[in-house]
Amino acid sequence: MVNDLKQLLRDNVADAPTDHVDVASLVAAGRRRVRVRRTGAVGGVALLAAGVVAIAAIGAPSGSDDTAAATHPPTPDAPTITLAGARPAVAGRDYEVLASHTNKDLDRDNGQYFDGVTDDGLILFRDGPREDLEQPRFALLNPATDEKDWLPDLGIGWSQTWAVELSADRLVLLGAAGTTGMEPRAYVFDRTQRTWTTMTWPTLPDVEFPHGEIGPDGRLYVFEPATQGKIPEGGWPTGNGGDADDSNAEGDTYHLWSVSLTDASDVRDEDLTVGDLAFTDSSMVWTDSANGHAGRVHVRDLATGDEHSFDPHTGAKCNLLSFGATDDRVLMSQFCGDYPGDVRDDRVQILTTDGEQVVTLQDNGVEGSLSPGSDVVTVTSYDGTDDERSGTYVYDLATDRFLRISDAVSSYALGGPTGNATQFLWHTPVNHRHGATQWLGELLR
Amino acid sequence: MDRRSADGPTSDANSSDREFSEFAAAAHSRLRNTAYLLCGDWERAADHVQEGLIRVYVAWPRLVRRGGELAYARKAVVSAFLDASRKRSSTERPSEPDPERASAEDVAAHVSDRAALMAALARLPQRQRACVVLRYFEDLDVRETAVALRCSEGTVKSQTSRALASLRSMFESASRDELAVIGEGNLPW
Repeated sequence: MVNDLKQLLRDNVADAPTDHVDVASLVAAGRRRVRVRRTGAVGGVALLAAGVVAIAAIGAPSGSDDTAAATHPPTPDAPTITLAGARPAVAGRDYEVLASHTNKDLDRDNGQYFDGVTDDGLILFRDGPREDLEQPRFALLNPATDEKDWLPDLGIGWSQTWAVELSADRLVLLGAAGTTGMEPRAYVFDRTQRTWTTMTWPTLPDVEFPHGEIGPDGRLYVFEPATQGKIPEGGWPTGNGGDADDSNAEGDTYHLWSVSLTDASDVRDEDLTVGDLAFTDSSMVWTDSANGHAGRVHVRDLATGDEHSFDPHTGAKCNLLSFGATDDRVLMSQFCGDYPGDVRDDRVQILTTDGEQVVTLQDNGVEGSLSPGSDVVTVTSYDGTDDERSGTYVYDLATDRFLRISDAVSSYALGGPTGNATQFLWHTPVNHRHGATQWLGELLR
Repeated sequence: MDRRSADGPTSDANSSDREFSEFAAAAHSRLRNTAYLLCGDWERAADHVQEGLIRVYVAWPRLVRRGGELAYARKAVVSAFLDASRKRSSTERPSEPDPERASAEDVAAHVSDRAALMAALARLPQRQRACVVLRYFEDLDVRETAVALRCSEGTVKSQTSRALASLRSMFESASRDELAVIGEGNLPW
């Protein structure tokens, strides 16, 4: 008598318990995991619609990056635009303001801030900490009614926090505390139970904090320093403006870990070295290194684990400073060197997750960022003198519109993630730059 | 070209959800069987299928464009099973066959053979077990198995060979009849 393996396997599932598949709950769970609204997008590089102002400024890929003379920034190996290609946005036509808040004098003391926007459209409003308020207070502000729902006290004193997830189910803030002040912790607010939970992970190695990304699996991904780019012998060369020009840097790498936000013992070594990292709903995207050469961009399908990578064709001297991804787009914001005339070569490069060049914004003194789940790349241009190009610009990944939203940027680092794909935060100076107004806007399409 | 559909996102979403629902309803049982053979527990199998299908939902618009939905879903379920086993604190462990199911039917030798197989599978390392299930239950060839497990074809061959040797040995130790794969003589090892 011989047992046939194939038959035994089939026999073992022949009397399976009744299968009660609840497709509706599957779809509901899937929808919750999809942070970006479905666009019906097709793959490949988006073409630009007639009438979109950005077209006029786009140049063809020249591939001249490595060979250009050192007297001016070389042309990126991609369709390229400059700030001049942006169309001034008109409130009510291109976007609408949902909320704003002004702090007249942030030089004197802390104030009140928009720290981000939840998936269901509420602003995470932070008050303090400041001289007369030892603990920060948090509220969820409804921009439609201006009503604030104050949350229970978090009790973290003057510790600073950064929002990494603002969903309809929970709020997740990162902070650092402990005897060294560097012990990572996450403050998780359950919106149904209205309770805060503080998470620490005793077995987690020393990681760079606050630096973390929430994956679509709900885990927090954190970064253990692995290698640090070396400063060249004799120091960085002096740029044309007299400052050190640290472009063309080696870059840093990190060992990737992930932790549960509900189980302190659930610490997972992801067995991966990365530079910077971002998630879309369905993929994990990372670079070989950050704060220097980016290296290759890698894309892992989170459902199957399949991976592919590509050369993003960043410039020869470009340092990766900011990284983001959403849907099928990747954002890389870079500093690519100083040039005569006190000109910086800064770039905000947008690619597809297959490595196709969509567009690169190249200009002096610009930086770009992309919140998880957002379609709106926010670009700020500020050189401290409020020149004619200063302000906040947005590039709409869904329509390839490039709009100028404001003509000035405040002196403060303000903002946070926005839950809706079309929403964005920006800030403008008030009171001779002593204060700032924060704005929440929504692109109209 | 505007990346939005002319019919608008809502129309797209409804149509996409309907297609996904039909696919999930049709594929669920088959995927659950595969997951059960991987983990040895029907409840956990349902969890792995649920996680896999949620991942499929997220990727659905892209999948529909490229095809291969079932193969993708199978990979997603296997990946969900392997991911769950990577959690340090996870209670996921290869489990013994359900004792109630086994004892209730233990009168027949054939049923004992089935139970013996599940017990033997449970003792295999996860990737070896996955090779056996994908090769001999899902009838994937070496290349397809390698794609599903994201490893080389050589790894699939060696893992499968080790798994079969272990299974045979375990059957022998349990004094059961010989375990064989019909047509194995034609296989490349």
